[in-house]
Amino acid sequence: MNIDIITKRSHIIGQIRSFFQTNEYVEVETPILAPELIPESTIEVFETTFSSEFHGDHQFYLIPSPEVFMKKLISKGSGNIYQITKSFRNSEQIGKDHNPEFTMLEWYTIKANYLDSIKTIEDLFISLTDKNTPSYFKTPFIKKSIEEVFKEYISIDLLKCQTRTLIKKEAQELGLTIEKTDTWEDIFNRIFLNFIEPELPCENPVVLYNYPKQIVCLAKELKGTPWRERWELYVNGIELANCYSEETDSSSVKNILESEYIKKASSGRVIPDIDSDYYLIFNKDFPECSGVALGIDRLVMLLTGTSSIEGVILFPFSDTVKQIKITEDLLI
Amino acid sequence: MKAGAIDKGMALLIKGSPFIVVERDFVNPGKGSAFVRLKLKSPETGRVLKETMKTQDNIEEISVEDKECQYLYSDEEAFHFMDTQTYDQFEIPMEGFADYKLLMRDGDTYKIIMWEERPLDIIIPFKVVYEVTEAFDGVKGDTVQGASKLVTIETGLEVKVPIFIKQGEKIMINTETREYVERVNN
Repeated sequence: MNIDIITKRSHIIGQIRSFFQTNEYVEVETPILAPELIPESTIEVFETTFSSEFHGDHQFYLIPSPEVFMKKLISKGSGNIYQITKSFRNSEQIGKDHNPEFTMLEWYTIKANYLDSIKTIEDLFISLTDKNTPSYFKTPFIKKSIEEVFKEYISIDLLKCQTRTLIKKEAQELGLTIEKTDTWEDIFNRIFLNFIEPELPCENPVVLYNYPKQIVCLAKELKGTPWRERWELYVNGIELANCYSEETDSSSVKNILESEYIKKASSGRVIPDIDSDYYLIFNKDFPECSGVALGIDRLVMLLTGTSSIEGVILFPFSDTVKQIKITEDLLI
Repeated sequence: MKAGAIDKGMALLIKGSPFIVVERDFVNPGKGSAFVRLKLKSPETGRVLKETMKTQDNIEEISVEDKECQYLYSDEEAFHFMDTQTYDQFEIPMEGFADYKLLMRDGDTYKIIMWEERPLDIIIPFKVVYEVTEAFDGVKGDTVQGASKLVTIETGLEVKVPIFIKQGEKIMINTETREYVERVNN
């Protein structure tokens, strides 16, 4: 454990709270233990059981993000809200910027879209910056669309690669091996991770915006284009935050959740119970809003110039895994 | 083997050529499916290859053997070793491993990873104690906390150390980052 980090980490989290309070966001606390989740086909969840002598056993899940509950608050008229909470991703590989249990900052701004949220996060960065802040953290951000970086880095016109056959041809020309089971999204990600992400500039934070709509998520589609109103923020090459203009049309939400559930049911290890009425909160009173999720551990890493997430988490998961191994050895 | 199970130090066969995994990181682009990002090194040319694949992709792991070998010396073209079991002498071309030269000490024993009679990797322990062979004294009265200076260790590597380290002293080095860890008292 790096004991020096506790003061720095506490200071950063204090600054974040102060930023949101100054900007009149209300801090909320929502459950970590949830009886139902929304289906997210690529996220594995932790499952546990509420067990009672008198009320029987009930499955619960550790939240992979506080999104579901925060949107329920918005539907009740909460206004602008933020939260700093533990979130959990199972099967999350343990690596230099992954820990299965992590701290997430999530905030929602009412009557705002994804572009408005860029301004908010730039202001947050300014409020976190002092004379010791590494230079890669400085504003303004570099802003590029996915369409632009594909053209600029590898001369691929994504507008002309809207089918699997067309994008597969481009990927193969780049020398990538494409599996039969790869979807359009898989092929896009193979190209993105091999040729775009490693080349992103590191001297300033980079916002990549307008993601392909083939990557299904709860971000609004950008009308008249094949994109969604979504961005991802990279700082010093690390993916730090993502943002949507939140989908507020209940039938679109329903369709997305249903298609994700089908994928989840065929590939997930744990198939969580689903709140099948969740889409109903997106009624005519649900306001237009934009949500941002940001990994606090990665933020602390970047602000303190720490090279691994384990250096900023007081009890990192890999220590726990080591302890499990030791126990097994002792049993033998 | 699935790519998700790849770990640092493993030997893989990529398009018919052997590679050693130097770095391995995981990435889930934008909540997307899981990928593994690899930095691979060719033991033949030293060429570094970066590859990102899905954790579900199949990959061919090479079954390797290791043997203990004494490092005798190096010349411009190769490292010369002796198998401590058979006393056979052999060489490993410098090309793939030039970056190890400043970490290896004549006479030390290293584990060599072999595949089909070909050396794939030389395993340098994670932390090694070396002698400081060249160090200038710190400026007297310099008590600034965290002050450092450059010294040379017996293999020729230059390392940044705290100002109190003197010539002839032994220090522990993290061979991965090539950074000073601590002074070692005899």
